[in-house]
Amino acid sequence: MPHVDQHLSGDWLEADESVRIRLVANDQELPVEAPPRCTLADALRDNGLKGTRLGCEQGSCGACTVLLDGRPVRSCLMLAVQAEGGRLETVEGLAAGGELHALQRAFHDHGALQCGFCTSGFLMLAAGLLREEPDAGRERIREVLSANLCRCTGGGPILQAVLAAQRELRGGRG
Amino acid sequence: MKPPPFAYRRASSLEEALRLAAEAGEDAKFIAGGQSLMPLLALRLSRPSHLVDINRLQELGGVHQENGALRVGALVRHATLERSPDLDGPWQALREAAALIGHYPIRLRGTFGGSLAHADPAAELPVVSTALQATFIARSASGEREIPVSEFFAGPLMTVLEPGELVVEARFPAPSPGTRSVFEEFSPRAGDFAFAAAAVVLAADDGGRVRNAHIALGGVAAIPVRAHEAEAALEGEVLTGSAAQEAARLAAAGCDPSGDAHASGAYRKELVATLVGRALSRLREER
Amino acid sequence: MTSGYIGVSVERDDLAFLDGTACYVADVDREGQLYARVVRSPVAHARILDIDVAEALAQPGVVAVITAADIPETRIPIRLPMAETPYTHLFLQPPLAREVVRYVGEPVAVVVASDPYLAEDAAELVDVDFDELDVVSDILSATTQGTPLVHAEAGTNIVATVPLGYGDVEAAFARADVVIRDRLRMHRHTAVPMETRGLLAEMDHGTGVLTLWGAAKVKHFTRSALSSMLGIERHRIRLVENHVGGGFGVRGEPYPEDFLVAFLALRLGRPIKWIEDRAEHFVATNHAREQEHDLEIAATADGRLLAFRDRAWCDQGAYVRSQGILPALLPALHLPGPYRWEAFSVETRGVLTNRTPVGTYRGPGMTEATFVRERMLDKLAAELRLDPAELRRRNLIRPGELPFSFEPAPITYESGDFPAGFEHLLDEVGYDDLCKQRQVRRASGEHVGIGFAAYTEIGAIGPFEEARIVPRSDGRFVVHVGVASLGQGVETVLGQIAAEKLGVPMDAVSIDHHDTEKLADGFGAFASRSTTLAGNAVALAAEDLRAKAAARLDVPAGEIRFVQGQVREPSGRTIPLAEVGEGRGRFDKPHPTFSFGAALSLVSIDRETGLVKVLRHAVLHDVGRAVNPELLRRQLAGAASQGIGAALLEELLYDEYGQPQSTIMADYRMPTVEELPDIEVIVEERPNTANPLGVKGGGESGMVGTPAAIANAVADALGVEGARVWRLPLTPDRVREMLRHH
Ligand SMILES: Cc1cc2nc3c(=O)[nH]c(=O)nc-3n(C[C@H](O)[C@H](O)[C@H](O)COP(=O)(O)OP(=O)(O)OC[C@H]3O[C@@H](n4cnc5c(N)ncnc54)[C@H](O)[C@@H]3O)c2cc1C
Ligand code: FES
Ligand code: FES
Repeated sequence: MPHVDQHLSGDWLEADESVRIRLVANDQELPVEAPPRCTLADALRDNGLKGTRLGCEQGSCGACTVLLDGRPVRSCLMLAVQAEGGRLETVEGLAAGGELHALQRAFHDHGALQCGFCTSGFLMLAAGLLREEPDAGRERIREVLSANLCRCTGGGPILQAVLAAQRELRGGRG
Repeated sequence: MKPPPFAYRRASSLEEALRLAAEAGEDAKFIAGGQSLMPLLALRLSRPSHLVDINRLQELGGVHQENGALRVGALVRHATLERSPDLDGPWQALREAAALIGHYPIRLRGTFGGSLAHADPAAELPVVSTALQATFIARSASGEREIPVSEFFAGPLMTVLEPGELVVEARFPAPSPGTRSVFEEFSPRAGDFAFAAAAVVLAADDGGRVRNAHIALGGVAAIPVRAHEAEAALEGEVLTGSAAQEAARLAAAGCDPSGDAHASGAYRKELVATLVGRALSRLREER
Repeated sequence: MTSGYIGVSVERDDLAFLDGTACYVADVDREGQLYARVVRSPVAHARILDIDVAEALAQPGVVAVITAADIPETRIPIRLPMAETPYTHLFLQPPLAREVVRYVGEPVAVVVASDPYLAEDAAELVDVDFDELDVVSDILSATTQGTPLVHAEAGTNIVATVPLGYGDVEAAFARADVVIRDRLRMHRHTAVPMETRGLLAEMDHGTGVLTLWGAAKVKHFTRSALSSMLGIERHRIRLVENHVGGGFGVRGEPYPEDFLVAFLALRLGRPIKWIEDRAEHFVATNHAREQEHDLEIAATADGRLLAFRDRAWCDQGAYVRSQGILPALLPALHLPGPYRWEAFSVETRGVLTNRTPVGTYRGPGMTEATFVRERMLDKLAAELRLDPAELRRRNLIRPGELPFSFEPAPITYESGDFPAGFEHLLDEVGYDDLCKQRQVRRASGEHVGIGFAAYTEIGAIGPFEEARIVPRSDGRFVVHVGVASLGQGVETVLGQIAAEKLGVPMDAVSIDHHDTEKLADGFGAFASRSTTLAGNAVALAAEDLRAKAAARLDVPAGEIRFVQGQVREPSGRTIPLAEVGEGRGRFDKPHPTFSFGAALSLVSIDRETGLVKVLRHAVLHDVGRAVNPELLRRQLAGAASQGIGAALLEELLYDEYGQPQSTIMADYRMPTVEELPDIEVIVEERPNTANPLGVKGGGESGMVGTPAAIANAVADALGVEGARVWRLPLTPDRVREMLRHH
């Protein structure tokens, strides 16, 4: 089977030819085999990481948000082959060593989910933001959260939850 | 909603990208941030035979100021512009426009070149490029050419780029001293494409008299347009409230937007007056 | 003898959603599964001349392609008898279009392939030759002379006419000092849950049982519908519910795809998976709400409501789906609202158009009726120069007048205190103070407005729910119910009721609502009925179990306790729980309950751009008794958020050719956190006298008054031009339009 890095040897990955793609998600190798047109979202989901949800497959809802090299991306707007060489994080990797992440706890405490379908995407969006901008203000957080849609809660409780998690992550300061 | 089949290749240098695109022929496409192309593929509105991935071309990634002029590489992400504090004064509109594009994750991936090549009539960067009189450097396997922004856009989602031709850089000429710029737009919901947008660039002398004005509008025609009458009315005038009001009126009068299901032509016209008016009053207040 | 769970905000177990392990239907895979892709009509009305599947069939990975010729002649039935008429069968939808397509998105063929990408490739190659017909693209033109017919055989575009009357309307109008009349229109919009629909069907060749994953809401009905459509016995069909990404009324009805996926699994003998994509969702899943009313109300000079007349055209879309004529019936039942009318006459009509069929969306009928009535009341208040709050005060039915009946119209209010509820809302938000603020803000050039709405909400539609409580030898209890979870937290609420009534800790109780196999009958999660119907059924089942246990020990039911797998009576005698058998309960509810609610909104308008911003929004609802106040508040707030989207942003637009204009999420604007204020929720508890738990519906009511309150607030903010607010959504463009013509 051809490999995604074979451009080094000068070949195209042909349409609908399955290629071996080495994805690293949550610090684990994910041995993906898929044609070039396979989206990153589908590749993750087909390889056991189904916590990444698909709400629109065209970039509008954010349910598929994962972290690539620490930053939130919509995994329906990337090809799996493009993610090779990057470091992926999905909702499955958020709880470290069995302990829930501050965001996960805050989502529970603030009623930031009902049906839960948007939850993975919001968690990863917020995780990416708080990592890059730990001191983001309320307005900034609100603006960033407007990237994703939550039909059940409208998003207000999600904002409350992210603010609470931020307070906790900053050790109560500020 | 799955992309149609295509062959894929990741380019590791600019030369290679151009060669690959040439070799793959008419129906090949470049993929940059993918934030416009991927939705089109999902909807099967685009069916490229080959995709040449240009994301690893570090040579296209920089923002440089030299002798007052500015160069922005095609792979510069919207978020990079948004977070460039030195894009102020004459370049402020660029930073403001970038910050208004879609949402945070979109801006982390979407690129300057991609936005230009995608040529959405309501997109921010084509409008601001029009007001700042950019020239785009386009390269293909057969050579390089410079395309002034006024000649670049050919219609909604259409440009004069030939197959295999890549925008590598946008160049913005050094502005005259005392130039400042701002960007205003209106969208009904956070992060949506604007119903209308305005970029205003003004150069004023020490007495506050406008030496020259560039006003570009988005969302009101098939491509970004300049508001020439409004610009002319401002030139030589002190930017008073009434001068601003008159310019805003002229900008609206000078365009003839068509409507769609989401915003009528008449409404977009009103928005132009409002947005140009707001841009000018910010330029008055922020002096 | 209770453990005190009812009325407590017990926390919900939501871990599976937080760590990504929740399993929605798209996450279920079966060995050897194939993927279905539906080929849909690209035109709104046409004769099908020919369907050529040869090229599609020849594609790599393709296993089968079916068209109407391959399936039995069958149609999707109507779920509730009350929503049927002697004529509705003429308009029912076949799973695949036969001869004629009637809306963009109607299924025409299905391609089955080994992979979803390949299925989509092949579906594009199914070649349908259409002969286009004239289109009915609007509800008003549906009934005009010479209009095209959506179903030619039926000879009319009118599905049903619902007449309702009370009192002597002519006499009341004759006595009126003021009569005002207007047309009001509610627009097409719908639920758009974040998860699209999806199904997976598998035939077990050993047992002969067909299992369907992805069913929700009305599982038992879907099962009987499929049983008759597929011609296999009910007990050979098993529906399994997974986690569900929002329902809001549109998910889980039997749709064409339910039949098609099940049919293909039987025909091909392999598991078939179908996941709706978002573009399909916008044309395939039920739309809702579109209707226009011609409403006339009569009142006295001192603001006493006398009577109203209403004629309405309610869109049904191109077919009558499983919800029958509810799109026309439910608005009629909600037009009078909580007011003391002397008389009214209503005639709503369900009409056909060449557009996606219409079903029910959270707060169905009531939201539309509340919008038109409350908008008119504000116009009346303006005409009479009366504070709109005062107008409502003068006319709300008083507790002493309850039960209040509009007979012969089937509307009876059993319990509640409407005026107190209304005052409670005004107090809670500080209405007088808000009016002063409005004054101040207006003086400083801001355009702000206050609006409210009061309404009655139908809930707890019967006919019944059943529950079964099975004790296990380890001392735990499994409660089987027929209602579905649609992300509402119904498991938690039913668990609370069971635990309290059994007198055991909550962690000893588990709720099973997932599987049709476990419970003979149930009607599902719609019309805010889960807590009332299933809740009371669970309570009865718990009582039944206690009674059975007590009988074994020969003591009164109040004296036994369930401890560690034993039944114990006060003197210490015990028997093993496993010997008691199971508790069964069935709660019948022939008449629906109406409950009271109200909403208040404060908005500001940017007169230059027409943008409306909601500054404050409060909803109040009398839930009878809140089993879990926190979960209820969250539902009310969520529903109100959807109502704000409906009032200001969301619309399913069509052009004159019946082409949908909102088929991607970017064109169907749902509010984000940036567009929404913090929703203020006020829960009233005035126990319902008509059921033992005292509960009333609640899940929808945050929606019901919201569009009306926002419309009234926008009208208030606009001042003189406010009188022109007659339709929704109040997009910036529409707001500007109202201002422009002055
Ligand atoms: C939810 C959402 C909201 C959005 N909102 C906005 C918005 O408000 N305003 C806005 O302007 N945009 C918006 N976008 C689009 C976004 O800005 C895109 O990033 C941008 O339009 C395209 O850039 P890209 O790098 O992603 O290009 P791609 O998607 O990779 O490519 C787009 C097109 O450009 C071509 N191309 C890419 N780079 C080059 C190049 N250097 N030379 C020649 N051709 C090239 C490709 O072949 C393709 O045809 C939104 C996108 C999403 C998903
Ligand atoms: S599924 Fe990727 S943004 Fe909606
Ligand atoms: S919790 Fe259901 S969409 Fe957010």
